[in-house]
Amino acid sequence: MVKIILKEITKKFGDFTALDNINLEIDDREFMALLGPSGSGKSTLLYTIAGIYKPTSGRIYFDDRDVTEIPPKDRNVGLVFQNWALYPHMKVFDNIAFPLELRKVPKQEIEKKVREVAKMLHIENLLDRYPWQLSGGQQQRVAIARALVKEPDVLLLDEPLSNLDALLRIEVRAELKRLQKELGITAVYVTHDQAEALAMADRIAVIREGKILQVGTPDDVYYKPKYKFVGGFLGNPPMNFVEAEVENGYLRVYESRIPVPAQYKGLIEKLDIKEVLLGFRPHDAEVVKGISEGLVGEVYSFEPLGREQIVTVSVNSGAFVKVFAPEGEHFTFGEKVTVKIREDRIVLFDKKTEKALEFLGE
Amino acid sequence: MNKINREKFTALSFFLSPMILMVVLFYLVPLVMTVYISFTRMRNWNVEKYLTEFVGFYNYQRLFYMFQHDPTFKAVILTTVVFVGITLIINVFGGLALALATFFISEKPASSFRLLWLLPRMSPIAVYSLVWYYFFHGSEIGTLNSILMKLGVISQPIPWGQTVPWGAWSIIIFVNGLVGVSFGMIVFTSALNQIPKELIIAARVDGASAWEISRKILIPLTKWHFLYVLTWQFLSLLTTYPHIFLLVQWDLVNKDYGTTLALYVFNTAFGRGEQDQGLAAAAAVILSIIGIIGGFITLKVLQFEKMMKRPRGDF
Repeated sequence: MVKIILKEITKKFGDFTALDNINLEIDDREFMALLGPSGSGKSTLLYTIAGIYKPTSGRIYFDDRDVTEIPPKDRNVGLVFQNWALYPHMKVFDNIAFPLELRKVPKQEIEKKVREVAKMLHIENLLDRYPWQLSGGQQQRVAIARALVKEPDVLLLDEPLSNLDALLRIEVRAELKRLQKELGITAVYVTHDQAEALAMADRIAVIREGKILQVGTPDDVYYKPKYKFVGGFLGNPPMNFVEAEVENGYLRVYESRIPVPAQYKGLIEKLDIKEVLLGFRPHDAEVVKGISEGLVGEVYSFEPLGREQIVTVSVNSGAFVKVFAPEGEHFTFGEKVTVKIREDRIVLFDKKTEKALEFLGE
Repeated sequence: MNKINREKFTALSFFLSPMILMVVLFYLVPLVMTVYISFTRMRNWNVEKYLTEFVGFYNYQRLFYMFQHDPTFKAVILTTVVFVGITLIINVFGGLALALATFFISEKPASSFRLLWLLPRMSPIAVYSLVWYYFFHGSEIGTLNSILMKLGVISQPIPWGQTVPWGAWSIIIFVNGLVGVSFGMIVFTSALNQIPKELIIAARVDGASAWEISRKILIPLTKWHFLYVLTWQFLSLLTTYPHIFLLVQWDLVNKDYGTTLALYVFNTAFGRGEQDQGLAAAAAVILSIIGIIGGFITLKVLQFEKMMKRPRGDF
């Protein structure tokens, strides 16, 4: 149970900068997700916390303790891998007992602790099997049990669910979140799956090209993305973006005009900005038949999803937006429609830096 | 249907015939000939006179008699056992040790270090043997002798290879062991590199030292390769003779305690003086049988069947 503080962490592999001046605080008992596309450096950051990699510069603290120079084994971290990394020649019991054996814990105590953690993860009946005799979900539980058996201060998870099939993933995700809160352990969770991050984490750090773009609660990063990238990376379908020009209190998007949202009125005047990117989430708008006040366009496609449907509207040649519509409504291809956006949910980005206007000053 | 079968046959014979030809020409025919000759009085390559003169198990009886009474042949058998046994241990465990050692250091120095150990295998046999010929030479020109004399450890040069039996044995074991180590090293290195990195990272995070990682994870996971190297090296040591042949020929090592059964077969069939191909063939057959039995034993002892896992079903 520690608070993790990363101060100006930079990690280079030769000429390649994998982590670029990372500053991050992870609170005690917090569930922090490191979210980013592959190659963004999120796993490198996790391994740096674990001590597998030594940062090229910067410091890492566990509470007040500077652990930058401390080898992995003395950091008391539990690590769970994407491929689970179970020792194939050891039975489940020995896999879980391995960290304790290395610590020279007495045999009886090992036995007791392994049984305890196995019970917690519902694998007590699998202890005398080999990993290859287990299903993916079971192997995953064994991997978590092995990480937890030594009662680590920090639990580090490197895409632990991505080798599971979709249904199982959703099930384990809820369980893992509950387990983390029950144990009150500080957890860092690396994933490229935005749904996983939103569902499980207390806070999410969005990482791209070795830099942290935004840190915040799932709500924060979802509704108030700091960068276009964040808006486009989270959500399924992701945020819509259309180019807009500012014209005396209005935003012009091709043929349509919508009033500048109230929350941006002062900001736009102050920044004296002419060109912006208008962003909104697919469920923060509705599609109305015919031409009226809003983004005017044609129905390009529609995809029923059961409870609702996704309507793709072409607002101009090559510019599309996706909007959720209720299941009952019927659309035809090429039909003229108007997209009405919830004004308070609109996010405006600077066209050049792709940064949200409210963060431009930072 | 018939046409398809014929096409299949044409394709099969096209692709298989070169290999079948090789196997028949270089393995099957010599094998049959060797067994055949071992039952004849064949000598001095006098094919016309002796090739059809059957003597039954006479050559085998002679071998058995020599095994009981001929001190030279007894020395050959003893030398074979000692040479194969000790060199095998050096080859297998030395290769494993080198692979493990280089596994834990960074890639660049590791590969140059491994390259160094490949030199004995890369250099021509005669050149390589000549190096050790001068090194172990029994007079004061021998490198080892001259070093020891300069250091004042010895005052007279020691004829290392003529010191029987251990002097002769040490030299042939050393010279062959150095060549063989690289084979195990290469196999074990590639085996170690195939172990998922996460297993080692996980063990490290849990506090395992390099020694504990080697003993509890790396070695158990390379059991298969260990078996392979052990069997392969056993068979090749049993049949190898080029280095030993040169060392004996150049009188560096004692003839009796420097000759293994493989070299004995060669000398008896092709060597100086009277040649006795019938006897050599019988010895070669015995050597092959020992190799087959030994191979099976290593497979059994290391529980080969246990390593074949049943396929895993999901859920």
